[in-house]
Amino acid sequence: MIRVGVVGYGTMGQVHSQAFQELNDVELVVVADPDPDRRAQAQRDFGVDVVSNIEELLRSSSVDLVDICVPTYLHETVLAQAIVGNKHIFIEKPLARNLEEGQRILELAKDYDKKIGVGHVVRFTPAYTGIRESVLQGEIGQAAVARTFRGGSQFPQGWHDWYADFDLSGGVILDLIIHDIDYLRWLFGDVERVYAKTTHGRTTAHLEWAMIVLRFKNGVIAHVEGSWTNFAGDFYTTVEIAGKDGLIKYDSRETDPIVKTTLAEARAGGGVTVPENPAARSPYLLELEDMIGAIREDRAPLVTVEDALGTLKVALAAEKSARLGQVITL
Amino acid sequence: MVRVGFLSLAHMHAYSYGHALKQLPNVELVGVFDPDQERGQEGAERMNTKYFPEASRLLTQVDAVIICSENSRHREFTELAASHGVHILCEKPIATTIEDAKAMIDACEKANVKLQIAFPVRFNTPVMRVKEMLERGVIGEVLAIRGTNHGQMPGGWFVDPELSGGGAVMDHTVHVVDLIRWFLGKEFVSVYAEADNMLYDVSIDDCGMLSMEMEGGIFVTQDPSWSRPATYPTWGNVTLEIIGTEGVIDLDAFAQNFMVYNDQQRKISQKSFTEDMDLGLIKDFIEMIEEDREPSITGFDGLQAMAVALGAYESARIKKPVQLR
Repeated sequence: MIRVGVVGYGTMGQVHSQAFQELNDVELVVVADPDPDRRAQAQRDFGVDVVSNIEELLRSSSVDLVDICVPTYLHETVLAQAIVGNKHIFIEKPLARNLEEGQRILELAKDYDKKIGVGHVVRFTPAYTGIRESVLQGEIGQAAVARTFRGGSQFPQGWHDWYADFDLSGGVILDLIIHDIDYLRWLFGDVERVYAKTTHGRTTAHLEWAMIVLRFKNGVIAHVEGSWTNFAGDFYTTVEIAGKDGLIKYDSRETDPIVKTTLAEARAGGGVTVPENPAARSPYLLELEDMIGAIREDRAPLVTVEDALGTLKVALAAEKSARLGQVITL
Repeated sequence: MVRVGFLSLAHMHAYSYGHALKQLPNVELVGVFDPDQERGQEGAERMNTKYFPEASRLLTQVDAVIICSENSRHREFTELAASHGVHILCEKPIATTIEDAKAMIDACEKANVKLQIAFPVRFNTPVMRVKEMLERGVIGEVLAIRGTNHGQMPGGWFVDPELSGGGAVMDHTVHVVDLIRWFLGKEFVSVYAEADNMLYDVSIDDCGMLSMEMEGGIFVTQDPSWSRPATYPTWGNVTLEIIGTEGVIDLDAFAQNFMVYNDQQRKISQKSFTEDMDLGLIKDFIEMIEEDREPSITGFDGLQAMAVALGAYESARIKKPVQLR
């Protein structure tokens, strides 16, 4: 039995807590959150112990795995405490808010005898793993140009609106399309240089659109685009990879197996038509299953601190490029 | 440990079922019998298992068999397996005549072995989600359903009436009919069908259109045509538009996919990332044996679905709706 404590009961903390219920011989025993309402909710949702922070969690409960789902700017502090507690650690992406924090986390992780995994969940998303397999099997030959999009949905709601504070969240590049940066690195390896543009600072905080041009060391050219919007659009993602022998195209909007249109939705005054893309095993479940497997089998998780730091460096380079209007070579 | 064998690999689904067996713990794929020795040997090699030149030798070493023969041979293999006390998963359609289907159900009952029919689409994740939505009454009471189960022309024994018992209508009516019976818990009472051979140079129906009625006045139409050309990027589809008193659900069971364009092979293909429904089917079959419970898809379910397809052929012949009971 692996006993788990979740730190931070926001969107991700809730999703992870649900996923832990579906894993065999894994028990969510405690949730930490500073907000009393959220603690009450966690208790209602899963009947677990609740505490207000990581110190209390380490003091009061014996857990094997600490799952860190706090806002990005708190990552280093909480992770350092979990390391002092000598726990296995799963930490949400992005690894850290800036390079200094990221490098200090890498130092802490070096020679640590427990496992640390990072939540780059796109590596566990069936469409994306399928596309990667097709590329690796040579179905489009040598890859040349890749494009990704992620976004279209409403600006995320967070604790004290922390997403809107650029210094805390890093905006759409660091929080959202870092997913695609990580995915493309998983496919194509290291990035040579970055040139990026973002609407940050030119409009309200609740709208951000970013476009990044990446050149990989292996020659691949990529365009990574993402948005948070001030209108309640539908979230979607796309991938396009062109190679010497062919092309792969994916658009999540074309892959919803179920679309329902109901009187109940019409009466509620919401969007009348609701698409659904169900999976029996969610990507979050799959990534946590990999983490549990890493602990049980004494192997590295799929996404290590080193991988996540490599991805963070590219995202931060993009942020810097957008700020300075310059090409950043890594 | 459940020991499993294959009786005939005539139907290509055998390979996907074999792949599923390999992924399950506590299952041993013992071997393959196929009256076509070459196909059997090749297939056994492909599935990394043994070829048995005699069915009886295989049947004494297994707890269960998967029958993937030509449709008209389902009965002889089922009766043979039942006589050895071996449980059966039989590819759809259950048979090609009512008489054969009933004989299969009787033989399994008498021998006290389990007979399950392979309707894997019941294990497609979006399909299971829609069933749950219907049970929750999300769209009220169902009034009508529009279905399609398009496919490419499969060729081989599928276009030989003696072996397949029918073409597109037989091949592609039973899946959708089974899903709808399962969704609603109601039976089909009549069927009107147009069916013809117009797309390919084969001597069997390759296209058609069915309009059916169910208990309670629900009407259902279904297009079973082999109308996807050879260059189509995937094998076909299963779609259902379910119209209720309080809403509509549009289901495209295999919409979870991306496109691959390849110049070397001059080929465009649609790659699915839907969760593996064949694994779901096989897992359910194995669990049924381990837990000694009733099959989730019974011989009767197979008979009812096939009866609609047979009724459709009768209707197409006499150009009138046919009552099914």
